[in-house]
Amino acid sequence: MLNDLVALDLAGLQGQFTGRILADLGMRVIKVEPPGGDRCRAVGPFKDDVPDRESSLRFAFLNAGKESITLDIESADGREILLELAGRADVLIESHAPGHLAAAGLDHETLKARNPGLIVASVTGFGQYGPHAAFATTDIVAVATGGLMYISGAAGLPPVRPPETQGYYYASVFAAYGVLLALYARGSGAAGQAIDVSMQESIATQEHMIREAAFDGVAITRNGSQHKHTAPANIFACKDGHVFLFILAARDWARLLALWPDHPPELDAEELRPPHHRRAHVELINPLVEQFTSRYTKAELTTLLQESGIPCLPVNSPSDFLAQEQVLARDFLGEVSSPKLGTYSMPRFPALFNGERPPASGPPPSCGQHNTAIYGGWLGRSAAELELLAARGVI
Amino acid sequence: MAGFLDGVRVLSLATGIAGPNAARMLANYGAEVFKVESRAGGLDAFRSYGDNPEASPRFVEVNLNTRSVTLNLKHPEGVALLKELATHCDVVMDNFRPGVMERLGLGPQDLLAARPDLIVVRMPGLGSTGPLSGYGTWGPTLTAYSGLTYLWNHPGQDRPVGSQGVYPDYLTGEMAPIAVLAALIERRRTGAGTVIDVAQVDLAAYMLGTTFLDVLVNERPAEPVGNDSAHMAPHGCYRCAGEDRWCVIAVQDDRQWQALCETIGAAELAADPRFATFSARARNKAELDAVIAAWTAGHDPFEVMNALQAAAVPAGVVQSGGDLAADEHLAARGFIETVTHPVLGEMRMAGLPMQFSAGGHEPYRSPPPLGADNAYVITELLGRDHAELERLQREEIVY
Repeated sequence: MLNDLVALDLAGLQGQFTGRILADLGMRVIKVEPPGGDRCRAVGPFKDDVPDRESSLRFAFLNAGKESITLDIESADGREILLELAGRADVLIESHAPGHLAAAGLDHETLKARNPGLIVASVTGFGQYGPHAAFATTDIVAVATGGLMYISGAAGLPPVRPPETQGYYYASVFAAYGVLLALYARGSGAAGQAIDVSMQESIATQEHMIREAAFDGVAITRNGSQHKHTAPANIFACKDGHVFLFILAARDWARLLALWPDHPPELDAEELRPPHHRRAHVELINPLVEQFTSRYTKAELTTLLQESGIPCLPVNSPSDFLAQEQVLARDFLGEVSSPKLGTYSMPRFPALFNGERPPASGPPPSCGQHNTAIYGGWLGRSAAELELLAARGVI
Repeated sequence: MAGFLDGVRVLSLATGIAGPNAARMLANYGAEVFKVESRAGGLDAFRSYGDNPEASPRFVEVNLNTRSVTLNLKHPEGVALLKELATHCDVVMDNFRPGVMERLGLGPQDLLAARPDLIVVRMPGLGSTGPLSGYGTWGPTLTAYSGLTYLWNHPGQDRPVGSQGVYPDYLTGEMAPIAVLAALIERRRTGAGTVIDVAQVDLAAYMLGTTFLDVLVNERPAEPVGNDSAHMAPHGCYRCAGEDRWCVIAVQDDRQWQALCETIGAAELAADPRFATFSARARNKAELDAVIAAWTAGHDPFEVMNALQAAAVPAGVVQSGGDLAADEHLAARGFIETVTHPVLGEMRMAGLPMQFSAGGHEPYRSPPPLGADNAYVITELLGRDHAELERLQREEIVY
C-alpha cells in the first residue's frame, strides 16, 4: 500500500515515529539527516551497550524501513536541494521548534510554491502558535502538561511517566493520521495541507480529564490501575506474578463467585451486584479477591476465568509478552538483518490487512546510505557535483 | 473546517471506548457515520454511565458527530437491513469478540460478497486470529498484557501499578482510522476492498518498540525506570508547594544546567564539580534531586515551570483535569471546546490535537437521540416507504 508515495522525514526524536508508521504501510520514506547524522543515532539503548551511530536500537526502531540522505538544510545549496526534493515528494515531516524552518527559508508558503500538493506535518511540544509555543519540550514535559502523569502511579507516590516516550509517539500517531487524511483529501482535489500537531494536546485527548473536571466536576487522581467505576477491576497477585482482572457485569461477578465456592458470604450481598456499588466497596472486595487469585498461577487463573467468559489477562513483562503463544501465532515480530545489528526481530505494524501483517520494515539506513541513489539517480546530479557538495559540507 | 472525508460512509457496530473513538475520529473529519444499536439488548454500555441513556456525558464524548440508527439484530429482517445498509457504506467497523459477526451472517466474507470494495474493520482486543482470540478483554487488561503496565512504575516496587488510563482504547481511535485511510487510498487505485484486523493489544505493544528491541537484541529483561532518563540529569518529577502539586524538569545539556542554576539563584551549584557534566550529575543523582526538590518545594508549580521555561529549560506542570480546563495556552489554540447537548446543556471537553491549513475538525455535534436517523436510513438510503418504516418499527425490527 501507499508505495507510490514519497515522504521526506526531517523529524528529530519527537516526530520520527510518524515516518516509521508510514514506512510500515509501504510509503517510501527518505530521512534527511544533517551531515553529522541525526542526533537520535547517539541515543541509546545500543547493541551490546557500545555507543555507535549505526547501533542505536532506538534509532533502529524509529527509522526501520527508511532511506537516508545527508543534507545541511541551513546552507543555501542545501535549502535549494531540499526544495528540489520537496517538489517531487508528497509529504514532509518535521519536528523543529516553531519558526525554525521558516528562518531557514523553508516556510510552508515557499514549500507550497514549489509543490502545491505537498503535505507538511509538524510535531512539536505545544504546537506552532499560542503563549507556550516556544516552550522547551522533552517527552516528560508533554506527558506532564498533557495530564497523563497526574493520573499515573500509586496514590502515595510521585506521578510516574509512562515507559519510553509516549508523548512523542502518541503525537506522531496523530501526525500519521493527519498525513493520511490530507492525502485522501488531496485525492479528492484538496490542496496540500500544513498540519500542526501538539504533543500536549495529543496526550490531553485521553481519559475525558477536561470534561470530567469542567462539566462533571470530578477530579481524576492517581490510584494505580484501580478502575474508576467498577470493582474488582485492578491488578491482583497470583503465585507467580500478577493478573489484571476486570469485572463489570453482574453476570461476571456471579460467575466469579461460582468459581470460588468458599468465598466469604458477605460477597453474596445483593447490593454488590451493580458495578458502581462494588466500586464503592472496593476496600472490602479487593483484599478478599486477592486471597482467591493468590491460590493460582497467572496462567491457571487466566484460563479458569476466561473459560467462564471473565476478562482476565496476565500482567506480562516485555519478555513475557514476546513469548506468548498468541503473539507468536500472529507474527508480531519479523526478522530483519543489518550489517551492524546482525539478524534480529522487529515489531511489525499493529494490524493485519486481508489476513496478512505488512512485512517487517527493514534495517535502519546507515547515515547517508542513499545519497548517490537519490542525488544522482533521482535528482540527476553528477558524481562531480556530489563530490563538490560533500567537500563543502552540504551533503 | 476541512471536510476531508466528505462522501465516505461508515457503519459502526462498535461500543465502549476503542471502537467508537475510531468511528468518531472519522466522523470528526467529515465521514457520515451510522452508529447502529438496538433496544433489544444492543445498547452501547457507555449509555449506562449516569441515569439517562440519552444523557451519558461519557457516551456523548466518544460518539460525537455520529448518526444514530436502531436495528434489532436478533431479528432476521434486522440483520438483512444491516447488510443492505452496509452496501451503501464504504467502511464497516465492529469490536465484537471474533465469531459474533460471522454467526449473524455478517462476517467479512458475507459483507464483501454484498459489496466487494468494502473496508471491513475488526477491532478485537487480542486480534481475530490466534489461540486466545476468543478471550474477553477490557482496555486495562490489554495494557497489562502488552508489557506497558509492568514498566509503568517507579523502579524497585513490589507490585505493578500502572495508570488510570486506557491507552489501547485511545490508540485504537487513531490507528484504526490510519489503517482505514490506507485502505481507502489503496482502493482508489485498485478498486478492491480490504479486511482489517486491528488487535488493540498490538497497538499498545507497537508503542514499546525500543524496549522490545533492547530485550531481543541485548537479551536482557526490561525493568521500570520511573521518571529517570538514561541521557538527561536532572530528569524527574519534583514536589512543589500545594497539595499534590508537581513539576517535571528535564535538563538535556550543560548549558541548560547552568541556566537552571542561575534561575534558582544557586551560583555555587553552577561551579560545583559534582554537577558540572551529565555523567557527574548522573553519578550524584540523589544529591542533585535533593537540591532541586528543596527549591521546588517552596514554589507554586506554575512559577517553577514559567521560571525555567523563561531560561529555555524544559519543565512542565503535572496538570490535573482542572489545570487543563484552565490552561491559557490550550484555550488560545481553541483546544478546549464546548458541545451543546439537549439534556446536559453545555459541556466543555478536549478538542483534537491537529490543525490543518484548511481548518480543524468538523464542529463538534452531540450524537442525536437513539434512533433519530432511522427514517433517513430506511426511507432515503434504503428506499422503503413510510408505511414499511412504520411496520418495521411496530414489529421491533427497526428498534
